[in-house]
Amino acid sequence: MDVVTAVTARRQAPERRITAPGPDMRPVAPAGTVACPSCGRRSVADRFRAELNVCSQCGHHARVPAVERIAQLADPRSAQLLDGGIGDRDPLEFDDGTPYPAAVARARERAGVDEVFSVARAEVGGVPAVLASMDFAFLGGSLGSVAGEMFTRGCELAVAEQRALVAVCTSGGARMQEGIASLAQMARCSVGVAAVAGAKLPYLAVLGDPCFGGVSASFAAQADIILAEPGARIGFAGGRVIEQAAHEYLPDGFQTAEFLLAHGMVDMVVARQRLRPTISSLLKLYMA
Amino acid sequence: MSTATETAEREKEAFARVELARHPNRPRALQVIAGGFDGWVELRGDRLFGDDHAVVGGPAWLDERPVMVIGQEKGTDPMTRALHNFGMPHPEGYRKAIRLMRQAERFGMPVICLVDTPAAHAGVGAEERGQAWAIADSLLCMLGLRVPTVSVILSEGGSGGALALALADRVLALENAVYTVAPPETCAAILYRDAGQRARAAAALRPGVDTAHDVGLVDELVPEPEPGAHAHPDVVVAMLRGAIVRHLDALRDVPIDDLLQARAARYRAAGG
Repeated sequence: MDVVTAVTARRQAPERRITAPGPDMRPVAPAGTVACPSCGRRSVADRFRAELNVCSQCGHHARVPAVERIAQLADPRSAQLLDGGIGDRDPLEFDDGTPYPAAVARARERAGVDEVFSVARAEVGGVPAVLASMDFAFLGGSLGSVAGEMFTRGCELAVAEQRALVAVCTSGGARMQEGIASLAQMARCSVGVAAVAGAKLPYLAVLGDPCFGGVSASFAAQADIILAEPGARIGFAGGRVIEQAAHEYLPDGFQTAEFLLAHGMVDMVVARQRLRPTISSLLKLYMA
Repeated sequence: MSTATETAEREKEAFARVELARHPNRPRALQVIAGGFDGWVELRGDRLFGDDHAVVGGPAWLDERPVMVIGQEKGTDPMTRALHNFGMPHPEGYRKAIRLMRQAERFGMPVICLVDTPAAHAGVGAEERGQAWAIADSLLCMLGLRVPTVSVILSEGGSGGALALALADRVLALENAVYTVAPPETCAAILYRDAGQRARAAAALRPGVDTAHDVGLVDELVPEPEPGAHAHPDVVVAMLRGAIVRHLDALRDVPIDDLLQARAARYRAAGG
């Protein structure tokens, strides 16, 4: 599907009118407006989207659906979404009241995407790239076998067509409902990253809010260049887990993008409005 | 029997499996090293920040052959358990492992990893020093290592903290070990927002290494004498040694480029 069509389709879906543009935007009256999840300021939904889901009052970077993210980063009309066509998996036949396939179906309906990863062939600043983008609205962006397969196919496409790889990572981590098969995705995705590295193609990761667990501990941290969005919470274990498990006091700004920058874990913190030009100039340097 | 009773039974059984895997008398990494290898010399430190006692490593002899042995150590009594942080490595543990694996590669030593951790350590310092980055690096390191590698899941393989040392050419597991995406307590906290429902999580997760075998993360289950490895640690160490030697012998004849290709293909397909 063409990205413009996909984004338009999302926009026109009636049930999305209220909650658009992001799943973490609280539905508010009147319809067609959204409130910033941080400061509560109301904006017209279309205006908010045009401002890349960044609040004009407090600068909060609200979440962006995966396909819209591709549209934000790709050169106009250059993006072509890859058809997933990967059958659903349920390795554990997981059922904790809601059978896993039902949970997936519901997530699909709510998030308006087939799975966590949307992958597109695109150009960024004229540089051929593969854009792999995660949707937090789909089961918390969790890494299941379909997501792992999609990302790895993205890597393989980058190698086959000599494209740079750009991944936008936003995820709570592994998909518990797939158990050990979910853990295996960390291995699978690492094989993909190794192939990209072996082909001497640049891999750039953009870490959005939040990025944790099996995603941060595999392909998100394996990129050649790591950009993070302002205020994004990024880490291995979540703050709540650390407080409970280790009874440790969490320092101010713990696990924010800025905290990670100060600790040498990311290359830069980039405001969303600057992401596209920043990625484009970096890719030009590395693909020259 | 009512369904509720059946469910309760199933949960009890699943969690009993986890508890068996956590039995304090099961052979620990240092016991396997002492009993299965000769002349092990412990090397310490990651050369970056510190020395993590949850990961131990160094060269040793295995049948006249030098190998690099790296293990996650849980400790055996309250004092050593605290010293080894219950087998939960910090980033410097993974970075020490990476350093030793790279060294083994340079000297052509096969690498043996003994995996035994509930999970990588969750704490402020671990986050500040890049726990996720250390694990992610270890995954890439193991995938590209130009020497044969064998990993053994001794008792508990929990989360990316275990996987970081388990992307080997051959992965063995003691049959009563568990290998999970996260400890049942964490899974319960994530799925049900209540760590107390760990038995329910354990039942849903199918924590046994047979599940890991089904998804392609484990190649061979090493049988344990009844009632389990905790009752006969020495026998189990001897059996493990035999299995490791057998696999290393088979791997030695494979040209390294073929081995790397097979390793990549194997983990490319893992997890379905």
